[in-house]
Amino acid sequence: MSDAKNKYPPNTMLALGVVGGLVGIYLAYFLAPINHVFVFFGALGAICASVWGADVVRRVASYGLGTGVPSIGMLALGMGVIATLFGLSIGGVAGPIIAFITACVIGAIIGILANKIIGMGIPIMERATTEIAGAGTLLILGFSIVIAGSLDYVLVVKDVIATGFIMMIYIAGGMAMLHPFNSNLGPDEMQDRSLSLAIEKAGIAMVLSGFASVAGLGAIAVTMLIGIFIWYKGFNKYYSFVKRDAYKVLDTGMLPTEEEMQ
Amino acid sequence: MEPLISMGVLALIGAAATIAGASEDLESDVGSQSNANSQIQLAPQMGYIHRYYNKAIAGEPVSNGMMCTIGATGTLVLIKHFGMSPLFALVIGALIAAMVHGSYSVTAIMGREASQKRFKQPIYLDLIRSHTPVIMAFAFLTTFTVEIVSYLMVYALAHPFPFVLLSFLWGVVVGSVGSATGDVHLGSERQFQQTEFGSGLNASNSGNIVRKGESGLRNGIDNLWFCSKFGGPMTGVAFGMVVFLGIWILIVFDPARGLKEGWLSNILGFLIVVVLGIWNWHIEKEAREKFGPYKEDKTEEVSA
Amino acid sequence: MIELITANLIWILAIVIGGTLISQSVHFIPVGGAPAAMSQATGIGTGTVMLAAGAGIAGIIAAGTVMAVNQNLPLVIAAGAVGSMVMLAATMIVATWIYVYGVGVIPVSAKVKYDPITKYRQDLYVSQGTEGHGIPTVCFVSATIGAALGGLGGALVYYALMKVSTLPVTDLNLSAVVSTFTIGFFFINSVIPSYNIGGTIEGFHDPKFKKWPKAALASFIASIFCAIVAVVAVGSLGGGL
Repeated sequence: MSDAKNKYPPNTMLALGVVGGLVGIYLAYFLAPINHVFVFFGALGAICASVWGADVVRRVASYGLGTGVPSIGMLALGMGVIATLFGLSIGGVAGPIIAFITACVIGAIIGILANKIIGMGIPIMERATTEIAGAGTLLILGFSIVIAGSLDYVLVVKDVIATGFIMMIYIAGGMAMLHPFNSNLGPDEMQDRSLSLAIEKAGIAMVLSGFASVAGLGAIAVTMLIGIFIWYKGFNKYYSFVKRDAYKVLDTGMLPTEEEMQ
Repeated sequence: MEPLISMGVLALIGAAATIAGASEDLESDVGSQSNANSQIQLAPQMGYIHRYYNKAIAGEPVSNGMMCTIGATGTLVLIKHFGMSPLFALVIGALIAAMVHGSYSVTAIMGREASQKRFKQPIYLDLIRSHTPVIMAFAFLTTFTVEIVSYLMVYALAHPFPFVLLSFLWGVVVGSVGSATGDVHLGSERQFQQTEFGSGLNASNSGNIVRKGESGLRNGIDNLWFCSKFGGPMTGVAFGMVVFLGIWILIVFDPARGLKEGWLSNILGFLIVVVLGIWNWHIEKEAREKFGPYKEDKTEEVSA
Repeated sequence: MIELITANLIWILAIVIGGTLISQSVHFIPVGGAPAAMSQATGIGTGTVMLAAGAGIAGIIAAGTVMAVNQNLPLVIAAGAVGSMVMLAATMIVATWIYVYGVGVIPVSAKVKYDPITKYRQDLYVSQGTEGHGIPTVCFVSATIGAALGGLGGALVYYALMKVSTLPVTDLNLSAVVSTFTIGFFFINSVIPSYNIGGTIEGFHDPKFKKWPKAALASFIASIFCAIVAVVAVGSLGGGL
């Protein structure tokens, strides 16, 4: 494991992701019929889920997956898409929970297969794939409710799947989970810097899903504004961490001289 | 649709795809991405500090998939919800994608180089200022042309997939194609120009990339100049071929007209693959004869 | 929900077979990863998952085009195979141009002494300090087989899911849901064999190829669960659970 400074323990991130994600989704679910503006809670839940997912990617990728970081992001969201559609098709209030549990089950199965049959031998693999599948599902659910305005299966199919916006959620959300660690890859990677980037990327995804929303101009405006605000704060935090951590941040310059390299 | 009109649409799709392939590769040459980037990542570790744009965004297929999807999302929202004409919506969608890609690029270089503190790799802000607009411009081109390909396939050629999904798919394919073809020109040739022409990268040279250029320190824009002579256009040809040939066989022999036509189109596609395979073998044979072996055959000498 | 599963057992089986085919296809496609882009390893210079996904996606696009107009099963899956093969062949020929004319290396493999298909001598033409470079004929053939399998598998999954629903094939909501599932399914079944391969593989002549049963079994099991989930979700589109 690289000596990345680990400020936030894994269970804290899991709690943040699961609780934040589910609370956000259900707040949007129950408040949206009152006023469509409240769908933005779903996006906030999705942001919690993507920070959680980014942390999981961070932990498992340090073991050396052999194929690179992006593949686990794609795996997570693939499982998430399948589980989300299944959960929503069962329908009702329990739809998101069913989707989440289904994803965790599929994730656990794949983790067990990877360790036991393929023989990857990564100690935390089962837990990691379970967590990441769950995070992916919450992310998709959160942004879907922003776009469709509700989690009714017929509406989600019409407004999120048939338009193809599900792929935007898939890739923007997936990137929000895998880009933070991938772009900070190196021996001096720091957890808080990577996670601040996760917030920034998830903010972008929030802006995009707000833009695509059919829940009315109010929902679009509020979600996009909050998303831009989160993006801005995330980016500033990230840049302050970069300045803290980098060897030097120069405006311009030549390569370091021999003496400086000693 | 009337077959001749389909061929006209296909010609436009093929042209757009060719530009998409070229701009995809050039975008990954300015900000070195995925494969060739592994050497730029390695260089500071071996003590070779550089002034390149270490843009590590998850690999080209995913990154291009993302920008094309975001572009298509913007376009579709503008067409459906804001009633804009597709001509404007395609452009503004691509602009949104370019801006998002710009944010990913900037955070990538800052993150990678901040995590190389112990190797004393500085972050040069002027690189970020000068390269990022170029990267965004190429991202815009790639997104715009891939959107055109997808849009025409869905709304003119009646493809059943949704527009945004198809953009995602072609974005992933253009990234795969660019990563497999154009990146080789950057990674094997331009990055190691100081070694003699005509061999692969010796493992002992890993990380020893060219950092000092013709006059001054080399950066991504110099690499762009070089790769635009060969690697970029070739990637354009590659992706153009993928899109054009893939759809052409289905227009020449349209499966809608019956089972026989459908199988003829499959046979035609297979023939194309065989021809390309024979061409590959022919180039291999010619190269072996013209370039010759690197080593003598020691076993033959001993037995002689 | 149970009725949906029992009524569509044949399609669930088809999806599982499709997933296993996809997983096998990844072993055939010669992937050199980052070293290949530096002419340090034989094969195509992309990651395993993404190259397999790129080829399979071209196949799924072709299969979708054909299925919308003609629902003959052998035709649709053959169209998928052909679509993938054309994509990979076009990519490889251009890569060969760049290797031979741009970099100046000869396509050779460092894993075998003689190419199994052309019987050309390989080791003398490998440049110093590398593990081969370019795409020799055996890799091209192996890639074509791999692409065909991947396209076949993807098209089979697409066909099966389309048939699960009672909605007409031209319904755009249906094709959107099915294509989304197929893509997610495809990514899952590309990542599992890539973990098995662990980086790079040259094709069926590579010693790593012998590991294929593990990935086949893992994909088979994973696909069963994903197939059941998918069938329920797609079947519910028509109206009844």
